[in-house]
Amino acid sequence: MKRGLIAIVISLMVLATSALWFFGTDDHKIGFEAVSFGVIVILVGFGLFFAWRRLSSAKRGEPAEDELSKKIMQKTAAWSYYISLYMWVFMIWFKDRVTMDTEQVLGAGILSMAVIFFVSWIVIRLRGIRHE
Amino acid sequence: MNNRIKEYRARHDLTQDELARKVNVRRETIVFLEKNKYNPSLKLARDIAVVFGVPIEELFIFDQ
Repeated sequence: MKRGLIAIVISLMVLATSALWFFGTDDHKIGFEAVSFGVIVILVGFGLFFAWRRLSSAKRGEPAEDELSKKIMQKTAAWSYYISLYMWVFMIWFKDRVTMDTEQVLGAGILSMAVIFFVSWIVIRLRGIRHE
Repeated sequence: MNNRIKEYRARHDLTQDELARKVNVRRETIVFLEKNKYNPSLKLARDIAVVFGVPIEELFIFDQ
């Protein structure tokens, strides 16, 4: 319950600061900023979904975590770590081929890590965890 | 590994939610088990077998 509420507060704070940054820039209609903001909104939605799952579980009297949810999280963390290593190698190669600031490259990398985590979680849930 | 949880749950007239409460896991864990998308820990397998009053090997079928 408590962790669910904390997740909601953090998600809303991220959304608010991102909105301040995005609507504070002059040309936010297209380009890198718009894509970044869209990705952030999707990730905040994912965070809110996690929080909602935790709160609804608590309401039903279920444990917030059990052995399956812990295993899914462990596997998601391992997968996203490995994939992120390759993603950063790609970013190093990519940054020499485009005109982007260092902050933009780092921001894109961090956002990509979050997206990789989100996608890994979905794939692992769809595949299931067997024979391990 | 396959299992007969769905079959035994129906025999005992239990919902997934009720079984989940009895063995103290989330309902989705029972869903994953019934779809054979998750191999449970030995403790959870034992807890479920205790609920149905059968030996573990009756409930879980191991592939050769």
